[in-house]
Amino acid sequence: MATNGTSTTITKESPSNVNVTNVTAALDIEGNVPLESVQLDGLIIKHCREFFPNTVTGQLLGLDVNGVLEVTNCFPFPGPTKYQVDMMRCLREVNVDHNTVGWYQSTYLGSFVTHKLIETQYNYQQTFNNKSVVIVHDVSRSTHGNLSLRAFRFTQAFMDAQRENKFTSESLLKNKLTFSNIFEELPITIKNSHLITALLHSLDDFENVIPQGGISTLDKETVTGPLTPNFDTLELSLDPYIEKNLEFLLEAIDEHGQEQSNFAFWQRSVTREQTKLQTALQKRKQENVHRLAAGQELLPEEEITKLFKLPPEPSRLDSLLITAQINNYCKQLNQYSGPTLGKLFMSGELQKP
Amino acid sequence: MSKEEFVGSRFFTGGSDTETEEEIISSEEDLSDEGNAASDENDSEDEGKRQVRSAKDKRLEALEACIKAIENAEKINDWVVIQNEFDKLNKIISKDPLKIPRLYIKTIASLEDFLSEALQKEKESKKKMNAIQAKALNSMKQKIKKNNRLYEEDIEKWRQNPVDEPTDESGYEEDVVKHKSRKPAVDDEEDDISASQDNDFIPVGGKIIEYTSDNLFKKLKEIMEARGKKNTDRLEQIKVLQKLLEVAATPYQKIRVLIALIPAQFDYNPSMSNYMNVDMWKSTQKEINQLLTILETNPQFMIYEFMEEDIDDKEPVIEPDQLFGIRGSIVSFIDRLDDEFTKSLQNIDPHTTDYVDRLKDETDLYDTIVRGQMYFEKNELNESTSRVVMRRLEHLYYKPDQVIQTVENTVQQLYPAGLNSKITSHTTGFDPTDLIHSLCVYLYKNGESLLRTRAMLCHIYHHALHNRFYVARDMLLMSHLQDNIHQSDVGTQILHNRTMVQVGLCAFREGMIKEAQSCLQEICGTGRTKELLAQGLQLQRYTQLPAEQEKLDRQRQLPFHMHINLELLECAYLTCSMLLEIPSMAAAGSNPEARKKVISKPFRRMLDYNERQVFSGPPENTRDHIMGAAKALAAGEWKKCQELIGAIKIWDLMPETQKIKEMLNRKIQEEGLRTYLFTYSAYYETIGLEQLATMFSLPINAVTAIISKMIWNEELVASLDQVDNVVVLHRVEPTKVQQLALSFAEKAASFVEANERTLELKQAAGQNQRDQQRQKGK
Repeated sequence: MATNGTSTTITKESPSNVNVTNVTAALDIEGNVPLESVQLDGLIIKHCREFFPNTVTGQLLGLDVNGVLEVTNCFPFPGPTKYQVDMMRCLREVNVDHNTVGWYQSTYLGSFVTHKLIETQYNYQQTFNNKSVVIVHDVSRSTHGNLSLRAFRFTQAFMDAQRENKFTSESLLKNKLTFSNIFEELPITIKNSHLITALLHSLDDFENVIPQGGISTLDKETVTGPLTPNFDTLELSLDPYIEKNLEFLLEAIDEHGQEQSNFAFWQRSVTREQTKLQTALQKRKQENVHRLAAGQELLPEEEITKLFKLPPEPSRLDSLLITAQINNYCKQLNQYSGPTLGKLFMSGELQKP
Repeated sequence: MSKEEFVGSRFFTGGSDTETEEEIISSEEDLSDEGNAASDENDSEDEGKRQVRSAKDKRLEALEACIKAIENAEKINDWVVIQNEFDKLNKIISKDPLKIPRLYIKTIASLEDFLSEALQKEKESKKKMNAIQAKALNSMKQKIKKNNRLYEEDIEKWRQNPVDEPTDESGYEEDVVKHKSRKPAVDDEEDDISASQDNDFIPVGGKIIEYTSDNLFKKLKEIMEARGKKNTDRLEQIKVLQKLLEVAATPYQKIRVLIALIPAQFDYNPSMSNYMNVDMWKSTQKEINQLLTILETNPQFMIYEFMEEDIDDKEPVIEPDQLFGIRGSIVSFIDRLDDEFTKSLQNIDPHTTDYVDRLKDETDLYDTIVRGQMYFEKNELNESTSRVVMRRLEHLYYKPDQVIQTVENTVQQLYPAGLNSKITSHTTGFDPTDLIHSLCVYLYKNGESLLRTRAMLCHIYHHALHNRFYVARDMLLMSHLQDNIHQSDVGTQILHNRTMVQVGLCAFREGMIKEAQSCLQEICGTGRTKELLAQGLQLQRYTQLPAEQEKLDRQRQLPFHMHINLELLECAYLTCSMLLEIPSMAAAGSNPEARKKVISKPFRRMLDYNERQVFSGPPENTRDHIMGAAKALAAGEWKKCQELIGAIKIWDLMPETQKIKEMLNRKIQEEGLRTYLFTYSAYYETIGLEQLATMFSLPINAVTAIISKMIWNEELVASLDQVDNVVVLHRVEPTKVQQLALSFAEKAASFVEANERTLELKQAAGQNQRDQQRQKGK
């Protein structure tokens, strides 16, 4: 995950922009340009919000154009895999974009760093040559005034580690893998189609959208952004959000404690085994000294090392994920409480007679 | 233990399995057959009274010895010995095959009979002989068959006329009879087994010994040399030594014999697990006393532990004003005597009269210890004095005053009037506490560190026993015993545990519930009380202790009369726990985090178990009573709680039962009030003090005091309204977020701690791994 929260920007489609990207896309035939950003529209949000608080997943379709992954279409996974295949076939038949570029998932309070996500994303990224992302939409956060839509993909380091499926301390060290570089976050650009933009404008202020002078007089300066600022962000019932977040955080810490004790247990058993091994080795050495004195053949020392099996190190993936999750929660809390403090001061001032 | 070794190790070379031992012995005998005969010769020459005997005589004697051994072995069915002796017998016969003694014929004939009988038995019995014995039996069968064919005629003759009458056939018989008539008195001291033998066989051993004070030193030396060898008959040695003691004329001789005799008796029983025969113990105790008396009356003799042994077997010439040193160690005798006493008490069933009878001997033992102490003191043997004083203290510290007084009075009458002790100088008005104090002070000044520690523990125990809690506690804290008790030996740790428990009980008797609970917690909270106090072995459920360990544990067990009543202990502990835990549980309320703070785990466990019970009947045992009382207290029914606690019978074992019950009743009222306030304060804005006072029938002052304390300790958010005599409650509940934040802060702290621990371990492990890799690299 990127350490600094990336803001999602909403841009209006400008004709010139489209042209440029299309031209470069034509140049990049082999698809060597790595992904740098993601561009998508609001369809995902609709699906996620409809099914809240259940988490849902779905497929992203589109094309990567010169480092920008353009998501043009998506459809949900209601259940069986057959649906997915059928859907893909149908889409192809009607000649819509049917190139899989990733998947999306809704989440609750940023608790998305799970094994399931890791596996699915690994499969996607493996199959589609690293040009595949997962879009995570946090519905609960979005209701608090900030749209939370984030695009992630695995870093190369994590991909390597996952490929080996080995998460020992050693391999973590080798791949320079920490909780903070499991994912890399890509900036998201939300691009609405002209139709939607128009709709939004009309919803907001019907009279102003169509100026008296007709459509031709429409220019950028007179048109304000659609859906003028609402007062969602001034919501003062802070407790539920912080509470839930704290609860999750505590849970994660407990889980981490579990992992830690597992690890400590392993450490202890390793030291125990090692002392056993050392004493056995020592004994063998002494025996060899005696044998040497008696002129007998020496007993091999390697045998002993083979005799004792050190217990395998437990996978560190779990603790890695939990740490990432804890980091998520903490950041969320931070991001939330900063502005909240401001809000509280403000309301405090307002209350003053 | 180390004291025993001092005496024992010189003589005892380490035991082995008896069977293999026998094998070794018999094979040794085989080899040194000739040698034995020669030494026999020497022996008989030593004795002045005997004439030189003919070769015939000697041969006969050897024959007789063999036959006797065979007969003895027959009794215990020891075929290995029989086989060896039989071979020996044939060897002797083969030297002079022309003259076959009638005795020999008789032996082989009866051996044949015995063999067939034994074979018959072996077939019938289901239990098999062990392999070595069975092998010996079979080979004997072969040998006898072969051998007896040679003497068929003679055997036949003997069978027709088995009466032992001298015939012209063999001249030996006459000699045998002569032997018998000449020294009948010596027979039973030669060997007690021979005395019990049938009369149709003449039980004359190889040598005849007469003990006089003249040859005493020589005999003594012989015995000393024979000791520790595997085939020495220890019982016989003791008998000889006792005989020697009787004939010993001078004090020097007596001392020498006693110094040999006492350890011989201790060593009679080589196994560590068995205890010494009580009669032998008593005689040993008397002998130690005798030794002390001799030394007291003959101050020119001194016994030192470390000195050159220059034993010339003569009575030394002693000038009256000169000290004469003899090597030995009385203190180790006393130590051993005491240990054997403890051992016997460990092994005797404490519920029999035997135990009580045995316990009566403690006075004698105590007398010996005191006498030893005075002797050492007089002769300024400081190290011995400390050891004996420690022994004395260990016999006293756990006893109530009356017992100490009685014992002291009896002992004072027992020892001679002339003796007096500086350490424990008491003229009149004898006080056990003073006695213990003076003993301990002596040890603090003169003892080595272990003895000082033990003395301190005994002293604290004694104070605790006499309800001097603060004195005991201050001593315990000032000595810093608890800091390093884990490094000391197990015996001292047990003493420490006993002391802690006693201090806890003392606090309980004094009504200091919190102190009592914290003292008892360490011992009673573990569930291994028995083990920690060495009052019985705990059953190991999962791990089987190695036999060695178990043996050691068994040896450490305290004799029954020193036990602290475990049920009373548990009862006191649980009652304390109840009085602390119930209010604390009420204070925790529904807050899950606070509920996790447990004062007494065993109590909580029991209470949980009790609450899970679908139906709980009327209380039967102590635990049931306390659990019932706890529930009643939690529900505010303090009267029921009082009744239940009062109904516990084990309180009767406490001194001043009534006072303790009153104390408990008062505590229950107070804790009931606290519990009530914790549970119901949320529902009140104000509570009248007077109402509370009547509810718990406490005086208003007491109620005010308790509430003030609670407010001060921040257990209750309230204030006292003196005007209206009410408690005004200001209850503020933390919000959910606050609660969560608090628990988060706690968790984060422990999280960090755990992380650091892991890191530390990892660094250590990493060091190891690096080392290994380096080794591999090489």
